[in-house]
Amino acid sequence: MTNGDVAKSPIDTKAEVRRAVASLAGKAPKTESTTSDLSIDEELNLHSIGWEPVELVSGVSLFSTPVGLWNWGEGEITSASEAHALAFKYAIGRIHREAADAGGHGVVGVHVERRVYSTHIEVSLLGTAVRPVGAKSVEPSNVFVSDLSARDFTLLMVAGWEPLGLATGASFVYAPRRSMGTVLQQQSQNVELKNYTDAMYSSRESAMERMQQVALELKGTGVVGVKVVEGPMSFAAHAVGFAAWGTVVRLVSDAHHFVRPTMVVSLNDSGVAFDAQSLQ
Amino acid sequence: MGESPPDLPEAAERRLAGGAFSSGLSVSDFGACLEMGFEPVGLVQGFCAMHQGSYAMGGALSRSLSPYGGSGSGYVQNYQCPHGMISNEHRMWGQNYEQTWVQDAWNQGFTSAYERMLEEAATLGAHGVVGVIDTQMPLGDVGVVEFHVRGTAVKVLDTPAPTSSPWTTYLAGQRLAKVFEAGYVPVSIVAAVSSVRVWAYCITEYLMEGFAGSMWSNATSSSSAVEIEQIVTAQTWSRQRVRSLARAQLHGDALHGADLRSSEREFEKGDLEIEAVLRGNRIRRFKDFDPLPVPQPTVRLS
Repeated sequence: MTNGDVAKSPIDTKAEVRRAVASLAGKAPKTESTTSDLSIDEELNLHSIGWEPVELVSGVSLFSTPVGLWNWGEGEITSASEAHALAFKYAIGRIHREAADAGGHGVVGVHVERRVYSTHIEVSLLGTAVRPVGAKSVEPSNVFVSDLSARDFTLLMVAGWEPLGLATGASFVYAPRRSMGTVLQQQSQNVELKNYTDAMYSSRESAMERMQQVALELKGTGVVGVKVVEGPMSFAAHAVGFAAWGTVVRLVSDAHHFVRPTMVVSLNDSGVAFDAQSLQ
Repeated sequence: MGESPPDLPEAAERRLAGGAFSSGLSVSDFGACLEMGFEPVGLVQGFCAMHQGSYAMGGALSRSLSPYGGSGSGYVQNYQCPHGMISNEHRMWGQNYEQTWVQDAWNQGFTSAYERMLEEAATLGAHGVVGVIDTQMPLGDVGVVEFHVRGTAVKVLDTPAPTSSPWTTYLAGQRLAKVFEAGYVPVSIVAAVSSVRVWAYCITEYLMEGFAGSMWSNATSSSSAVEIEQIVTAQTWSRQRVRSLARAQLHGDALHGADLRSSEREFEKGDLEIEAVLRGNRIRRFKDFDPLPVPQPTVRLS
């Protein structure tokens, strides 16, 4: 995104820098400190819609899963799915509480770190609590947590939507072992391993359904920016996992405001004349 | 050049007096630097190799020395075995404690390297140091950490000579220009560390080994998914601590572009050292925000 009016009122950068540096000789301000992991672009984006960063906030959780869980069985590995759901729930609850305590109305740009080990599942969240400029605290239940960047948050708000929270869903499913006879029979054939395909479909459907269920519980219309992590795990050859998370959104305006982009030719990057990466 | 500080190496004095400037800036950052009215005057550096005095306290041997030794002055939380067992195999107690000596060593190493860089910048008569990069690397496995801080010293053209220590920022180029245009001035870089040692008690050990749901895990519900409270508490505390340490350096200014990284080192199952490092730019508002129009989305054609 660009600020369309910059060209009309150019700033004398050198004069601004001299003024800024001279101001350091004065006393430090008596305002309350704020902390954020936002870039200057993101902060300017927030200010353009009347929001400001308040505090860097985090939430972590670590849930244990029973040993030997991953290797033998049929159907869903419910303990692992439950541990994953709880780890996210507790971590979201903690970052939510920190944001509410800091006076934030929401958290944007949440970095999600998720690790699945054979004996435990770990979730770590880090983001910046934000609020409308100078606004007072709101009820903790109205504080949202979103993994949208400040830029995407701005765009979403400009389009007449609001974030409601982070929705997650995960499912871990056994891929049943083939019988010795089937293994020998398929040894010399090109054949689809239905046990893995079915396990992948099963885990995907359950995980996506759970994520959408959270969206409904938050009274959202949908989930944007969904991230997906799927596939087998290094420590469990006969299990597949699927996890998805994203930000639940709801239309708050009467109708969606179309944000019409302007075409620009950037002078920052070198021109690309030949981009056939596959030939390299 | 200003007057040389007493501990500046003689070779550094010769290098800084060399006539040609050096810088760690890319060409585009160099261009932006000139556009802002900065004159790069030298690539300035500060190093420090620190040995952690009480390194052995984190080792497995110290588990048998004192069950509740802790760190003395910092955060300590104790955990007691609920099983009533007495055995060498059974971890009857556990503890989270702040490794204040690790934090002190880190702070001393970082601050020494940082101040040495500032000394070089001051020697060059610089107003500030832009594009700061800092690294910390272990030197072998003997509890020694190398701290490196470097950046490009700049003078602000058409401005009186500085009378105070140079300001510093991790930013350079276009991003730094935007900071000024947004009404902020960089004050200094901010870096802080927190270090927590986790000595797992039996419950934590069993949960980390995957015995969730067993009688030993002390689960209060029928669920086999149990939160590992001792480690979650240590992780949460280390993140909160490093933020409060960074906040204490702000004095009413804002911390911007913060980068919080957490790392863990496992000694035995559940026995961890958790370290969180937070870096960012301390900035101060020197004018009110100019009202900004709502940003216009663009599609790049290149």
